[in-house]
Amino acid sequence: MQNFNTVTVFDLLIQYIKEGRIKLDKTKYADVLATYHDPCNYGRKAQKLFGYGYFEEPRWILSQCTDNWTDLYPHSINQLCCGGGGGTLTTGYNDERILYGGRKMDQIKITGAQMIVVPCHSCHGQLNNIKTEYEMEHLEVKYLWELVADCLIL
Amino acid sequence: MPDVIEPDAIEITDINHLNHQRFENWSFSQDFCVTCGLCSSTCPVSGIDNFDPRKFVRMISLGLEEQLVESRWPWICTMCAKCEKVCPMGIEIASLIRGVRSLRDREKVPGILHKGLAAAIKTGNNLGLPQDDFVFIIEDVAEEIAEEPGFEGFTAPIDKKGANLLTTIHNKLVNTHTEDLKHWWRIFHAAKEDWTVPSENWEGTNWGLFTGDDKAMKIMVGRIVENMEKLEIKTLLWPE
Repeated sequence: MQNFNTVTVFDLLIQYIKEGRIKLDKTKYADVLATYHDPCNYGRKAQKLFGYGYFEEPRWILSQCTDNWTDLYPHSINQLCCGGGGGTLTTGYNDERILYGGRKMDQIKITGAQMIVVPCHSCHGQLNNIKTEYEMEHLEVKYLWELVADCLIL
Repeated sequence: MPDVIEPDAIEITDINHLNHQRFENWSFSQDFCVTCGLCSSTCPVSGIDNFDPRKFVRMISLGLEEQLVESRWPWICTMCAKCEKVCPMGIEIASLIRGVRSLRDREKVPGILHKGLAAAIKTGNNLGLPQDDFVFIIEDVAEEIAEEPGFEGFTAPIDKKGANLLTTIHNKLVNTHTEDLKHWWRIFHAAKEDWTVPSENWEGTNWGLFTGDDKAMKIMVGRIVENMEKLEIKTLLWPE
């Protein structure tokens, strides 16, 4: 019935990198300490719904872009929600949403990271939206594919 | 001596109003709850508005439909599923939340969630953005990329039949965040990908996931499948 393949953002980026179709410059962000946020839907929920969570793949991609990164604690299957999930960015319950994000911001602060990399539009929107609330205006919130695009060697 | 409670101060629940069978056909294992409270300990929302997942699960078991459907509880939950992860009985708590969301009168769904979805069902995208405007934005952003060194001659192929890869678009990227359209496009260019964007039904978000609207979700997914088949595309990338 299905006449086409579906790829995740991770599969496609890994394919491009492994086949040598894109080359990445690891020095670009060498001086910026990065960290990674696991979106609920790509990780914990995918693990439960589809039997496979994307935990290793984004970290491998991140490692192709920079050596200067560290994990949050806890992470992967036990990660903390960014607070922007389940449509909370659009329900209008903003006080609650900002409050939930506080724990994520604390996690990031403890690492000292200057850049948080995420592969999810909701997480990206939430983290960018609340960083000023937690006096983290200088935190760079980056899509995983944005980081890859930034590091492209043309 | 304890204070005597005046009878007037006690609210009496009419037990006949409870429908214990109300959710018995829901297959989320809710009746296996052992009330251990692990879910409530791990939940980022516990305590807000007196919500906690254990209470929510127990209320489902008791059939307290109206109280749940009318409350803010299912909507202030982020459905992050930490509760499910720690539940020793395997109760699908996030699915219960979504199930209760689905029972809310559509006009009472909070914020812009249902309005955006209704617009998408009607027009193909959450913004109600007309096709001409969409094509204009895509071409305009593509021209900006073509001016960057290394991207000379760059174009964003629209409705390219037989392309290897089709990508959906998040509505915010053709609204307030057009700069964020460029990341994937730069990667496609560098990887020499044969890619395309559909001019209709390009919406990558599917807010039926959040509102509990399976019917709307199927319509949105069906349109993407239609695009894939109509344009004879080999690979779907759905970055949302």
